[in-house]
Amino acid sequence: MKHFITNRRETLKLLGATGAVAALGSWGVPAWSNGGPGHVVVVGGGFGGATAAKYLKRYNPALQVTLVEPVERFYTCPFTNLYLGGLREFESVGHDYRELKDRYGVNVLHTTAQDIDAAAHTVTLGDGSTLRYDRLVLSPGIEIRWDALEGYGEDAAEKAPHAWKAGEQTLLLKRQLEAMDDGGVFILSAPANPFRCPPGPYERVSMVAHYLKTHKPRSKVLLLDSKDGFSKQGLFMDGWAEVYGDMIEWVSLSDDGRVVRVDADRLEVETEFGERHQAGVLNVVPPQKAGWIADRAGVTDESGWVPIKPATFESTQVSDIYVVGDATVAAPMPKSGFVANAQAKVAAMAIVSSLAEREMPPASWANTCYSIIAPGYGISVAGVYSVQDGAIAEVEGSGGISPRDADPDFRRREAEHAVGWYNAICQDTWGTRPA
Amino acid sequence: MRLTKPVFRGDRRSFLRSGAGVLGVGGLLLSAPSLLLARQPWERLDVVRELLDGSEPSTTGIDLDLPLVSEDGSSVSLSVSVDSPMSDDDYVESIHVFGAGNPNPEIAAFRLTPAAGKAVVATRVRLNESQTVIAVARTSRGEMKVATRDVRVTVSGCLSRNGDSSAMGLDNPRVRVPPNPQAGNPAEILTLINHPMETGLREGEDGELIPKRIVERFQVELDGDPVFEAELYQAVSANPYLRFHVKPRAGELRFSWTEDTGETVEVTETLDPA
Ligand SMILES: Cc1cc2nc3c(=O)[nH]c(=O)nc-3n(C[C@H](O)[C@H](O)[C@H](O)COP(=O)(O)OP(=O)(O)OC[C@H]3O[C@@H](n4cnc5c(N)ncnc54)[C@H](O)[C@@H]3O)c2cc1C
Repeated sequence: MKHFITNRRETLKLLGATGAVAALGSWGVPAWSNGGPGHVVVVGGGFGGATAAKYLKRYNPALQVTLVEPVERFYTCPFTNLYLGGLREFESVGHDYRELKDRYGVNVLHTTAQDIDAAAHTVTLGDGSTLRYDRLVLSPGIEIRWDALEGYGEDAAEKAPHAWKAGEQTLLLKRQLEAMDDGGVFILSAPANPFRCPPGPYERVSMVAHYLKTHKPRSKVLLLDSKDGFSKQGLFMDGWAEVYGDMIEWVSLSDDGRVVRVDADRLEVETEFGERHQAGVLNVVPPQKAGWIADRAGVTDESGWVPIKPATFESTQVSDIYVVGDATVAAPMPKSGFVANAQAKVAAMAIVSSLAEREMPPASWANTCYSIIAPGYGISVAGVYSVQDGAIAEVEGSGGISPRDADPDFRRREAEHAVGWYNAICQDTWGTRPA
Repeated sequence: MRLTKPVFRGDRRSFLRSGAGVLGVGGLLLSAPSLLLARQPWERLDVVRELLDGSEPSTTGIDLDLPLVSEDGSSVSLSVSVDSPMSDDDYVESIHVFGAGNPNPEIAAFRLTPAAGKAVVATRVRLNESQTVIAVARTSRGEMKVATRDVRVTVSGCLSRNGDSSAMGLDNPRVRVPPNPQAGNPAEILTLINHPMETGLREGEDGELIPKRIVERFQVELDGDPVFEAELYQAVSANPYLRFHVKPRAGELRFSWTEDTGETVEVTETLDPA
């Protein structure tokens, strides 16, 4: 037995050291995991949920795994900014569940989980039927806080899209960009921390600026921010100046950048100290919280997000419910697709271990966030995380950020790596290959 | 908004001194034996013990709000609210905020008067690490109230860059006063000024410590009567932001920010209740 324990640790270390799509892709089924089958229900088929379903089956094929996800085709948020910039087709970010069903034998139900009864261990589905679970995984992503920003309710989002969940909202924003007059102002309102994809708003305005520079060069981009700093700030600002001159203006929190009121009919926003800004296209990235089903399960805290036990991603509030992805409080890990995928593998291992009544080996996670500033101009930030003193922390000296003074060739290679990353993570998560 | 030129003003500490003088002295921590006896987080800080001066504070009727987890210790939203009629004979006189895990525990001290109408104050603060934040309120009747809040900080606030303040000194004061506040309903006032709030703990590019330079005092008067005052320490974030209240009555509100260099900037606004 001892042999297996060391072996397991080695393998998990490998998983940790790279967070790794590639390393895990070649990782076989641990020999000890055959015992203790049971039924695991996974809610949400995005980065976290689809990965969890697949890796539960990989770690223990005897498990019965049911994935509950309403859509038959999932569109990733990653690379939707590239679609807005005109660098990709929308369909190129769509993925389906065939591999999970056909190759891994996951029971995929295209419906919504309506309610969760943690005491009874049941999930109520859209048609009123219930599923009993031994362990539950929730990866519901984010919910917009429709009551947090005056004037920004669901109706307002039809005029001033958030496009922070990929789909109709993304297509609407693209149509609006195409209809905007040359010389118009694109306004993006960015939220305070925490929110989905910390570099996302900044990549978004980069790609919008690329589109405008190409098609409507007299236009402006105004980024009104509820923060005084942001992810990869120096690199973004250098890149903006270099590629787009003064097209993009960033207004920080302390320069009165925080939007407090939205008038979606007039495409107007008002900031904290009473400044009003008129947009041609208004993109509001609103405050967020965990997907609503997390509330129904009783796993959220007063922040609206889900506190988890760092080593396993089991809820601190409700046992046998594991939560991964954007819904969790896992800072300093960012809310990224990469992280959701890595957390899901750890949760899957924790579940397989607990059903087999084995000890869970220590885990760690890695993340890389690429952002595209312009075609052939990529930047990245990376980090490795582990559990230190009972909390998640960045491993000292790990990771890093693209150098500030890199040459164009370096930026071009990073843009290529970003595509490689996207293809690899989508293949790892949904088994889909680039068309 | 009318902006008067920065002027040098003499020592106008008298209003503040009675409360804040207590804060300026004393070492940071109790000696070891008393530390062992300390049951509550506030009992572990000398400055708080001195402020309490032997009285047993109440922990009800006061609320301290900060996020449970902060991803950026250089700017963490903080608000304190105290239940109080804010009448002439029963009002909150001062609210003091401390960070037990900061290099210097004092964060800010606020002085209120009945003219504030409501004992609710908010600002943004620097937290060096995960720690307990403590708020102590003193009422005009001498009652003490205390609230604590544990905050997890994932990126340290004190030694990092100072937000994005490119301001050198007092720059760009902003005030928001509601246009026609309802009489009888305390009006919320927002203020913001661009200032680096240099802690004196940070190294510049040359490796030398950048000298301390902070806004140390903020005062608000309505037709010359004190409404609200704040004494700020290094742990207030760059570009100090303050939110507080005033009981609406027609008059002129005068706001002033004073640096530790003695430099002052003033703004006046008309208060025009409905
Ligand atoms: C513009 C933008 C760009 C981004 N770029 C990147 C990037 O380059 N790299 C990166 O790593 N990350 C990026 N992200 C972040 C990434 O999209 C998220 O971190 C990731 O999607 C989180 O995965 P998740 O599983 O938590 O949620 P999601 O991927 O959103 O999946 C949640 C799923 O749960 C389903 N669901 C919700 N509620 C229920 C319910 N009650 N019943 C059943 N199903 C339910 C939803 O339908 C959805 O399919 C970006 C995000 C944005 C907005």
